[in-house]
Amino acid sequence: MIMSEPVPIIDSNTPAGMLEADLVRKARRGDLNAYDELVKRYQQRIYATIYHMTSNHEDANDLAQESFIKAFQALNSFKGGSTFYTWLYRIAVNKTINFLKQRKKRQHMSLNDIDFNAEHDPDLVALISDKTPFRNAGLSELQKFLNEALLKLSEPHRMVVVLHDVQGQSHEEIAEIMGCNIGTVRSRLFYARQQLQGYLSEYAKPA
Amino acid sequence: MNENENKFENVRRLLKLKRHEVPPPGYFNNFSGQVISRLRAAEASRHQSLTEHLPVQASWLVNLLHLFEAKPGMIGAFATSLCLLLVVGVVVAERSDAPPKDLIASAKSAPLAGNPLFSGVTPEVAQAESGGIAVSTNPVISLQPMTTFFGQPNQNPLLVQQASFAR
Repeated sequence: MIMSEPVPIIDSNTPAGMLEADLVRKARRGDLNAYDELVKRYQQRIYATIYHMTSNHEDANDLAQESFIKAFQALNSFKGGSTFYTWLYRIAVNKTINFLKQRKKRQHMSLNDIDFNAEHDPDLVALISDKTPFRNAGLSELQKFLNEALLKLSEPHRMVVVLHDVQGQSHEEIAEIMGCNIGTVRSRLFYARQQLQGYLSEYAKPA
Repeated sequence: MNENENKFENVRRLLKLKRHEVPPPGYFNNFSGQVISRLRAAEASRHQSLTEHLPVQASWLVNLLHLFEAKPGMIGAFATSLCLLLVVGVVVAERSDAPPKDLIASAKSAPLAGNPLFSGVTPEVAQAESGGIAVSTNPVISLQPMTTFFGQPNQNPLLVQQASFAR
């Protein structure tokens, strides 16, 4: 007798089991429980994007919270032309870029810790192996160099790199989030990577 | 495109490190709660500021409400005066719509003839009075000799002469 895997029971009446569209509709009527569920669904991605843009945990925390608050207050203007996720991302991206433009002169980093899995990532292991200039540099040092290099990029270029190479978003999604065409996304990505390669020339020589 | 991907392979591998940067443990356990708390606080402060600003913006209304609370009889008096005002308003409006009776009577008894200004009523005007249609081009005031305000006939009838500047 073959026993099937127990299927998790999802109650569609609870916020956790609801579809995004239903949650958005409820939240628009002022249902904070529904909005709480929406926040839980996207908090990690929104926070991570802002953090990688600012290289500062405290700023990322404030901006992520403010983005969610602004999104709730502007829910009535959400017409459903895109997904809620894309719309929310757009708010967070605009908020972050505006913040960074104002902050230009006082950039200071407050980096998060690197998780345990990084030491087992084959790509990263290769970078800190004897064959690379990173043989004496630990992951923390590499992290610092990398964040400093990212902060040297302009905000739109940094955003494209973060969304594509760190967050794994497609060109189409990035174009929709940033309100530009795919060609612009591609050219920004190329230019940003080229710049990064220059800043990290000692560590990231062309293959 | 693949060429570009290969060209920047090391940059992409370096950027993978960013995915391993994580916020303090348990950070996301409280995140949504903080957002919802801030939303509730913002809602509460908005209500509070509304109630705080009402007395400043509409102090007369607040005074009136206080007066009603202190003297319930005032509500009846206020309502009665409002009703009276409404009735008076309706009556006045109806009266102003109807034309004055004495004006109608005088118009019927001596149409324009008694008026020195309209002494020489033309046939067109007379026709209009008797139910015909007056045309805007019809002369209302004729140039015939008319009596003065002192009852004597005008000795100098209005004469029209052509002005000429030729020498």
